[in-house]
Amino acid sequence: MKLVSIPNYEEYRVDAIFDCYKWDPQFLDHNTLAKYALVITEKESKELAELTEMLDSETRCAEEFLNRHLDLAKRLEIPKKISCELKRMKEYDPKRHIRLMRYDFHPTVDEKWVISEVNSDVPGGFAEASLLPKLAIRYLSKSRKSYDSIDFGDILAKTIAKKIKRNGTIMFVHCTSYSDDRQVMQYIGDKMESLGFHSLYGAADHVRFENREAMSILDGNQGKIDCIVRFTPLEWLKEIKPKTWAGYFDTTTPSCNHPIAIFAQTKRFPLIWDLLEQHGISLETWRKLLPDTIEVKNLKGKDGYIYKPAWGRVGEKISIPEACSEGEYQTILKDVRRHPKRYLAQKKFLSKPLKSPDGKLFHVCLGSYSVDGNHAGFYARISEKNRIDSDAADIPVLIERNKKDDRKRSL
Amino acid sequence: MTGKEVYKKWTPTGKRWVDWVRPVPFIGIDSPYQVHEFIDDSIPKIFYVNNLSKDTAIIIDIEGVDSIKEGIALAHLGYRPIPIFNGTNPSIGVSSTTNNAMIEPLLVWGALELEKIVLEEDAPPVFLLDRNRLNRYKIDPSIFDNSWDIYPQDIPSPDYFLQNGITKIVVRGNQLSRDLKKVLYPYQKKNIKILFTNGYEEAREIKIKKIKEKEL
Repeated sequence: MKLVSIPNYEEYRVDAIFDCYKWDPQFLDHNTLAKYALVITEKESKELAELTEMLDSETRCAEEFLNRHLDLAKRLEIPKKISCELKRMKEYDPKRHIRLMRYDFHPTVDEKWVISEVNSDVPGGFAEASLLPKLAIRYLSKSRKSYDSIDFGDILAKTIAKKIKRNGTIMFVHCTSYSDDRQVMQYIGDKMESLGFHSLYGAADHVRFENREAMSILDGNQGKIDCIVRFTPLEWLKEIKPKTWAGYFDTTTPSCNHPIAIFAQTKRFPLIWDLLEQHGISLETWRKLLPDTIEVKNLKGKDGYIYKPAWGRVGEKISIPEACSEGEYQTILKDVRRHPKRYLAQKKFLSKPLKSPDGKLFHVCLGSYSVDGNHAGFYARISEKNRIDSDAADIPVLIERNKKDDRKRSL
Repeated sequence: MTGKEVYKKWTPTGKRWVDWVRPVPFIGIDSPYQVHEFIDDSIPKIFYVNNLSKDTAIIIDIEGVDSIKEGIALAHLGYRPIPIFNGTNPSIGVSSTTNNAMIEPLLVWGALELEKIVLEEDAPPVFLLDRNRLNRYKIDPSIFDNSWDIYPQDIPSPDYFLQNGITKIVVRGNQLSRDLKKVLYPYQKKNIKILFTNGYEEAREIKIKKIKEKEL
């Protein structure tokens, strides 16, 4: 795995904005688009794909089991407004819905992979994982190396297309006030339009449910919806309180993701692994890759752990002292003391930074998608800090093709 | 001009502050969303600034169309206009809370105006906002809510301002909006003076009170 500089970066940045749906290229004083590409070998790509599919198989097994045994999910501390609706999911049929997840991998100093989490509910980065690598390959076309990429958007779009009727209507549910949510939805919406489907963009409360089927109430577009692609996190949905939001839990309309995603979305998921294993659910790959995770109350006398919020996103409120901003670390500790069940303690791993061609060190978070159990591509971010948060930059993931394979192809 | 070409006029390569230009309305320029309203492209007279102060950044928080026109007027005085509009458009035929569509043709007009203006390397910034962003009222639940707020991450940090010689921020608007109050409070804490003008009177220093989350 290595970093390669992208030539003519300023032009690349503008092309990424206009051709790759990168509408948020700046966050405070940070450029959110890396000046490099992350190049992995075919061997690394294959290894990550295999690990992703193994993790995914375990996660789906666990969540379907929990759905049938909700009493075991109590330790997950799912907010009441959500947990009281979980019983609606009893007729959940995985074949009807589209299950999308992204597992965040990190290379460590002992030359291993660890994962920090699964983005189970609403993983993002769609266009960055699909179009950005192609753009980077175009900019690197003068290089002697041969690069390839996996088109995540293509895989997701084709999977959705298989599950709904031809020319059907898809509602892309997101927080309509946030342009950075819209960019994710617009990319996959345009992709579905190109396949002949009708894309609608609306908020969670633009969907109503009648006889468990989703209906659009969006102005000028009222009627039946054939698929829901949701980018509003479930725990936000609960705060927004649309009148009929409970319908998301038992709808027969194909959904990506269905609220069953909530079980693995909470970072407290590892706290019930012992229970799950007692019932024959294997979590072997998870155990191998996720650092030891325990309740905050059980941390006494243990060193080298960090706190993570159970419902945290984009690295927020993770107590890595050297990565925290001024005063942030003390604020997190205070919050952990006040609300220990909203956090968990996790053994800190030592991320191995990569050296850029201009000599800077960057930590890497390499997200690996799965769609309905199959590996579906990569989305990566890099940061000079060892916590990948809002200050991190998006980086295209390229796969370096073996020269042997090139020779075979030319023969 | 395409959206990309218009964007490039507003963000000349390597110039200070231009990285904060928000691309969203420029993307919309290429969409089939049509504007059929008359565009008054006269450049307004600026009453609240007589000349260039390199230690002063300006934030214009009025109707988006007027905000762009005042931005161009201030560019003639030596300020670099930085549009930070961040509202999306609804799908064609869908009613929305905020009309962002008029901003797009004005950005095209502004790009042509900027071609005629030479700005200095250290030109201070004038950030352009649309006060209509805060229109949240939905006459019917079917309406698309494309209102938006400004957040701290949308402009440079107080430290960045100070490192680049900015010690004052003038807000030009009808009133100091609640999202701007929240954004600017940390700047005041870092001893950057916040001034306010209604556009006709001289800007006067104000003190922003800390806003609690509940009040937002």
